[in-house]
Amino acid sequence: MTEENVTHTGTHTNDRELDTWREQWSSVAEPPAEFEHKVQQRIKRQERRFVLGNLLSAIAFFGLLIFAVLMRHQSTWMGTGWSTGICVLVFVAVAFRIWFSRGTWRPQTQSTRAFVELWHKRVTARIRLLRISVYLTLGWIIFCAALTAANWATIGQDVKAHPKVWVVLLVVCTLMQYPVIWYWVAWLRRRKLAELNEVTKIMNEMDGKSLP
Amino acid sequence: MSEHREALETQFARILSEYGAAISRLAFSYEAVASVREELVQEIALAIWQALAHFRGDCSERTFVYRIAHNRGLTHVGRRRPPHQPLEELEESEQPVDPRPHLEEQVARTDQRARLMSAIQSLPVTHRQMIVLALEGLSHAEIAEVMGITENNVAVRLTRIRKALKDALGERP
Repeated sequence: MTEENVTHTGTHTNDRELDTWREQWSSVAEPPAEFEHKVQQRIKRQERRFVLGNLLSAIAFFGLLIFAVLMRHQSTWMGTGWSTGICVLVFVAVAFRIWFSRGTWRPQTQSTRAFVELWHKRVTARIRLLRISVYLTLGWIIFCAALTAANWATIGQDVKAHPKVWVVLLVVCTLMQYPVIWYWVAWLRRRKLAELNEVTKIMNEMDGKSLP
Repeated sequence: MSEHREALETQFARILSEYGAAISRLAFSYEAVASVREELVQEIALAIWQALAHFRGDCSERTFVYRIAHNRGLTHVGRRRPPHQPLEELEESEQPVDPRPHLEEQVARTDQRARLMSAIQSLPVTHRQMIVLALEGLSHAEIAEVMGITENNVAVRLTRIRKALKDALGERP
């Protein structure tokens, strides 16, 4: 920028170099074809998904509650235990989610800086939630195994199999879930840590720590 | 359909027609690949629609739109950081058509524009954000409002960023 070309008008700074860049910049792009139509379609799709998602969640949750109530007089309490367990699991998971999401609902101000700070808090909360999810999943597997063991007398009569075969099958099924859970958690954690790294980098840039 | 929803839809349609080109330009600074950029433009528009219901007019509409667009752009960069792809490597069809009649002038303009875009894309993301806002004609006060920093800070940083942009332009053949 050549200083002699610069004129100050209030808070605006106009100069030839910036004007040239502005001229080049203004011809960079036009909105994609049928832009507005595509956006409208996307809004409709998103609203449908939102309604459908909430509806299905509510149906699943209350369906399990009703199932648990209906099954309470059965000779085996496997169904009751399982559906009650699911309801408790959902309740605990939601409670943890709300607890970890404290202070991450909305930014303190409307600026980009506040948005990035909020983003940082949200990613940190997700990483914590992920850690808790692992414990909850392990707890759920143990609960299912315990439930099956507790109802063994009734289940054993129905399936007419040797208890040893079932115990081996149960242990193998439980162990097979570990690699899947481990891989899923590791993948999600890697993604979230990479995101946290990027957000921290952006925050540092905003603080001027990486300015030349 | 409620009157409130209808009013929101009218306002949203006006924002898209008024700021559609600016949003596309802004997406250019965050994403070099055309297909992904188109997706980003739509996501920005979607974010504007979601935020519009909560817009109480405590800042200008222009500041509101640019703020959301940049926040969405930042999220895009943070979640998906693709390898840098200079504009020269993109297909010719992805370059906007300049309606000016003289071929040589047109070629020179396209080249200058590609160099500018490539130089902007090589800057750190927050520098990109600030220079794009300046190129869109926002005042220091408006940039300060969007970014959440002081006007003085904007002035100081813009001087440095312009120098960095000039260096980046100089480095390119």
